[in-house]
Amino acid sequence: MELIVCATRGGEASRRTQERAIALAKDRNAELVFLCVVDPDFAGPQSEAVTAALEDELKRLGRSLLNIARARAREQGVPAGIICLSGPVWEEIEAYLRRAKATTLVIGAPRVEPTSQAFGEDVQRFIEHVRQNLGIEVVVVP
Amino acid sequence: MGCYGIISAPSPPKTRRNPQPAIYNLQFAIRNLMESFLVAQSLFLLLIAIATLVAIVAGRLRLPYTVSLVLVGLVIAILQPFAIEVTPELILFIFVPPLIFEAAFHLDFRLLRSSITPVLTLAVPGVLLSTLLIGGLVSLGTGLPLTTTAVFGALIAATDPVAVVALFRALGVPHRLAVVVEGESLFNDGTAIVVFQIALAAAMSGFFDPLAGLVDFLRVALGGVAVGLILGWMVAQLIARIDDRLIVSTLTTLLAYGAYLTAERMHVSGVLAVVVAGLLSGNLGLTNTSPTSKVMLFNLWEYLAFLANSLVFLLIGLNVDLQHLWLNIQPIAIAVVAVLIGRAVVVYGLAWIAHLGRERPHLPLVWRHVLFWGGLRGAISLALALSLPVTLAQRETLESMAFGVVLFTLLAQGTTIRFLLRRWGLIERPPYRVAQERRLGRLFATRAGLRQLEQLHDEGLLTDEMWFGLREEYQQVRHRLAQDLNRLFYEHASLEREMLIQARREALRAERGALSDALRRGMISEEVFEELKADIDSRLEALNLIQAALQGRWIETGAD
Repeated sequence: MELIVCATRGGEASRRTQERAIALAKDRNAELVFLCVVDPDFAGPQSEAVTAALEDELKRLGRSLLNIARARAREQGVPAGIICLSGPVWEEIEAYLRRAKATTLVIGAPRVEPTSQAFGEDVQRFIEHVRQNLGIEVVVVP
Repeated sequence: MGCYGIISAPSPPKTRRNPQPAIYNLQFAIRNLMESFLVAQSLFLLLIAIATLVAIVAGRLRLPYTVSLVLVGLVIAILQPFAIEVTPELILFIFVPPLIFEAAFHLDFRLLRSSITPVLTLAVPGVLLSTLLIGGLVSLGTGLPLTTTAVFGALIAATDPVAVVALFRALGVPHRLAVVVEGESLFNDGTAIVVFQIALAAAMSGFFDPLAGLVDFLRVALGGVAVGLILGWMVAQLIARIDDRLIVSTLTTLLAYGAYLTAERMHVSGVLAVVVAGLLSGNLGLTNTSPTSKVMLFNLWEYLAFLANSLVFLLIGLNVDLQHLWLNIQPIAIAVVAVLIGRAVVVYGLAWIAHLGRERPHLPLVWRHVLFWGGLRGAISLALALSLPVTLAQRETLESMAFGVVLFTLLAQGTTIRFLLRRWGLIERPPYRVAQERRLGRLFATRAGLRQLEQLHDEGLLTDEMWFGLREEYQQVRHRLAQDLNRLFYEHASLEREMLIQARREALRAERGALSDALRRGMISEEVFEELKADIDSRLEALNLIQAALQGRWIETGAD
């Protein structure tokens, strides 16, 4: 059975990406997983308790947003799983794609904003990397 | 005006059968005291009335409040309908404790801790460097001896960004920036006063021993911190156990003035004692306080700070002698340039050093611009200038320079900072955020309206038909508002995350309240309570970090 992984940050801003993944899973009768990765490194050094709480709260925030996506999928008759991982974003997504033997990756196109130019370039590089090295289909949702 | 002699001066009776000189003198003294008190009270009320009028007019004309107060004070000083002599004791013992306590009491310790490096860098080495630089430059420019100008350097080193912080609160600049500005101001008041006392002693004696100066600095500063820690902790413990809003309000008032007086009596820093006491009582003391008591406490301190601020800035204006300033215009101009250069070196230079080896700066460049131009001077500088001993050489010049610099920072920097904040893109209330708040406000109101209608229906005061008709209408409005919010979230992903964080924060606070309740009812032990509470506190701190990151754009928000 095919496995579609929708790598998303969750929320309304990524609704179009999620809807596309749901439609694909429905068409192909494929398994669907919404995946988000949080990286607590942004906060710099903190106490052990705060570092643990930070990772947990980021994951909780991510899962809350993915739950909304899962509910939307369920409404359309598509059962979906949610996975929230922690660590460097691109490495974690790649590792998950390999581990789960995903067949398709659905990802949102980076928005054209001057502040996110570097991030957009990262996404483009990652998409190329996945296509070439993992040999899986990548659907980029504009 | 001049109608303050409400009670005529008492005169001794001409004849008396049994003269009792001691009792009579006491009665006479009491009457004199009462008369002075009534005069002071009338004057106090008059100043409050003027300040209130200024607040109303400044609000209508959208002028900076503190600057308006100084200007009105200046006009009154020129017209001279009455004269008030401001003493350093009046400012330091009456107005400074509530001002500092209120700021410290409100400051979130967890947020302060996340910015403690820049705050302490600016407040301790920053003050020392500023004192030396300003002292050196003024000495070079005016030809006054360095020992004298170092006194000026110290007294002018304390920033007083009341006008800037008020703007921050009104306009909604990044919260962490406001914490850095407020934190620096709180701590540098204390360090500047200590450095001032050491510099003054050196100027008066003509001798300065750096080692003894350092020891004295540490003694006074750490002594003040210790007094604040002890009294603040004691009161925090009491507040945490007594949830009576009147007693808690009284305790904090006692703490604000008590910490200052105790520390000053012990010849250690009163300002630092109040800062630490305020931080402790505001952060540790309120963990179990009911929302009602908290509202009353915060309102009380907001009011006291407003009162103290209003009077201080009005008195600053009233005490400016424009003629005297004009006569000293050259040293004042030199002092202004020296203060600006000193501030620039401290803010940009020390911040640069503090950033060495860090991937992400503590203070983004644009924040440093705000710290530089927002480094206004105010009450503490003037109180210190007024306290200069008459025997100090060039006392009048130093006093004029202090008044001149304070006036310049208030009138030039205080009036332009709003424009600059907007220009630097720091006013974080873009139209989409206002739109979100408006929709949320309507959503809350609609939900409350719907609940009320439901209650009326349940009580039989609304027929079924009416209830269904009204409910349908309300539900449509609610649905439309929720859709509008979703559209906003689609366009601005960070808004949705911030709303989730806010919701989670409120849930955690409710969890903490439930834990306190369970402890009070004996359902859980103190040990378990502390453990679970610490976990919630860590989570709240984590949420603050996430929120700060979202606001500071540290988490990329540009892709789906």
